[in-house]
Amino acid sequence: MDNQDLMRSARFRKEREADWRRLEALVRDAESKGLQKMAFAETRDLASLYRQATTSLAIAREISLDKALLAYLEALTARAYLCVYAPQQQLGGLLERFLATGAPQAMRRSWLFLLLGFLCMALGALTGYLLYFENNDWFYVFMPSDLAGGRGPDATTEALRAVIYSDDHNTGGLGAFATYLFSHNTMIAIFVFGLGVFACAPAVLLTFYNGLILGAFFALHVDRGLGLDLFGWLSIHGVTELSAICIASAGGLKLGAAVLFPGRYSRKDALRHAGRDAVKLAIVAALMLFAAAILEGFGRQMVQDLQLRLLIGWGAGALWLSWFLLGGQNPGWGRGRGWQR
Amino acid sequence: MRVRFWPKNKKERPSPSTLLPPEGVALTLPIAGIGVRLAAQITDILITVVAVVCLMILLGLADLFSASTMFAVGSLLFFLIRVPYYICTELVWNGQTLGKRLMKIKVVSHDGGPLTAHALVLRNLMKEAEVFLPATLLLTLDAGNPLESLASLLWIIMALLIPLLNRYRQRLGDMMAGTHVIHLPVPLLLADLAEKTPPLSQTRRKFVFLTHQLDHYGAFELQTLEALLRSQSSPSGHEAAKQRNATIEAIVEKIRKKIGYADPVPPADRLKFLQAFYNAQREHLEQRQLFGDRRENKHYAQSEEDA
Repeated sequence: MDNQDLMRSARFRKEREADWRRLEALVRDAESKGLQKMAFAETRDLASLYRQATTSLAIAREISLDKALLAYLEALTARAYLCVYAPQQQLGGLLERFLATGAPQAMRRSWLFLLLGFLCMALGALTGYLLYFENNDWFYVFMPSDLAGGRGPDATTEALRAVIYSDDHNTGGLGAFATYLFSHNTMIAIFVFGLGVFACAPAVLLTFYNGLILGAFFALHVDRGLGLDLFGWLSIHGVTELSAICIASAGGLKLGAAVLFPGRYSRKDALRHAGRDAVKLAIVAALMLFAAAILEGFGRQMVQDLQLRLLIGWGAGALWLSWFLLGGQNPGWGRGRGWQR
Repeated sequence: MRVRFWPKNKKERPSPSTLLPPEGVALTLPIAGIGVRLAAQITDILITVVAVVCLMILLGLADLFSASTMFAVGSLLFFLIRVPYYICTELVWNGQTLGKRLMKIKVVSHDGGPLTAHALVLRNLMKEAEVFLPATLLLTLDAGNPLESLASLLWIIMALLIPLLNRYRQRLGDMMAGTHVIHLPVPLLLADLAEKTPPLSQTRRKFVFLTHQLDHYGAFELQTLEALLRSQSSPSGHEAAKQRNATIEAIVEKIRKKIGYADPVPPADRLKFLQAFYNAQREHLEQRQLFGDRRENKHYAQSEEDA
């Protein structure tokens, strides 16, 4: 068939169809292999053919009424756009970058929220402690029965001591590990982070409540003269675990603060901005909870000595702290920008 | 429905599906709806649950846990598998989990740039807080505690309502990560109908349309005819073929009456007639469009009078 016989839009298509087909093949390659693995000539062609295709689309919208052609060009340019402007990010070094610079810098940037998180917990603990000495019955108000495990003002001092220094546990090994990890504290951590978005209040309340439980529990043992023993029992994993809850709470507070006080941004933008650090705090909290679960599931039963318990617990705490304070200090490292903004 | 309530400010905003790249030609990246995303999500949940069940059987055979801790171990494994699953698949396939690949949808950055690892991690961690946590609560809580069940139910409903209330169908996690989900368009180039016809010189001798005969229809009718002609090539059974012939006949008669085409069209030539009419009509409309006379549909003359 002679080209002159065709109408204008059909001729337009015929002249460019080969280029479109080539772009289609290149897009398919880029999507399956990734841009990094393509030859230089191919990526160069991809970019220039994409620009040609957008021009074709603009012209076709004006001169052609062929719906099939328009739909094809719309789809082709959209796919090519994603290949050219939104390619796969390099994944190498992602974890390393996070551990070495991202996480500690995010922690240092959010020091105010971390302070608030720890303050919530500490105030809660203090309140719980004082309330217990005012009236023993407060213990039953704060403490969920499944968490207390029979320990309360009614229990004898001997029974309390036995729990602290017991080496037989009815669910051993993996089962104990699982139940601990999935128990109370992980739940609380996810709650305080996720709920922080709703204007801070749930995160503050939950952290405070967690502190209340801790305070009342501690007061019970101090009352019986077991204060130091409980301190050791809690320290071995609690330093890590309670810090993780406070850090998760700080992440939640950061999100909530963005909703409450967006400043010159829109609320959505402020939330997105705050999310950058909040998600890092959440991952740090998750890591710490995981470490705490290992300490709790295995370490607590094996280590019976008070001094050793204190040493392990606070040693782990010091390690975390040094990571947060010293990690990624060199501004020339990583993405090439310091942590001060 | 909503357009009717706020007709003015809705019209001025561009459609959420269009994106203006640096090239200056608006591209279309259609927003994925709730239904298809839910389907992808269910597929993903099925995949992870199957993985958990396999692992549980393996652990059970190795006798690593007792029956009393089975539920705790199971939920822990589910948690430990699904969190990295979503993050890793979306990182590796640039915004697509297996379920999303199956449904041909994809996460894109809201500003049109590349997807950062941070955004993908954030949107999937928020999924944990938004959907999975209240769902597990709802499943594990007993009837003795109606307040907490009600709270988690309300929570789920709210999490599902948020995407319905914004134009980009973003979850809370999407908003925070600055992402939304699109249908991945499939480029499929169908043959040009105008090219498929027998040499024009032959058909032109047979069917000749005058300019005033081509002034009755607009682009919408032309594209409907295009869809009809394309569907003719697909094979069909005896019954369907009969029905199709009846449709063709009705359409040919309708067009003939509308444009005042006097010569009768013999049954064997009906498709050829439609084909020739499509060509002539398209050429005519495209030419009018080049002169700035865009005809959306057959009511183009009336809308011009209104304006």
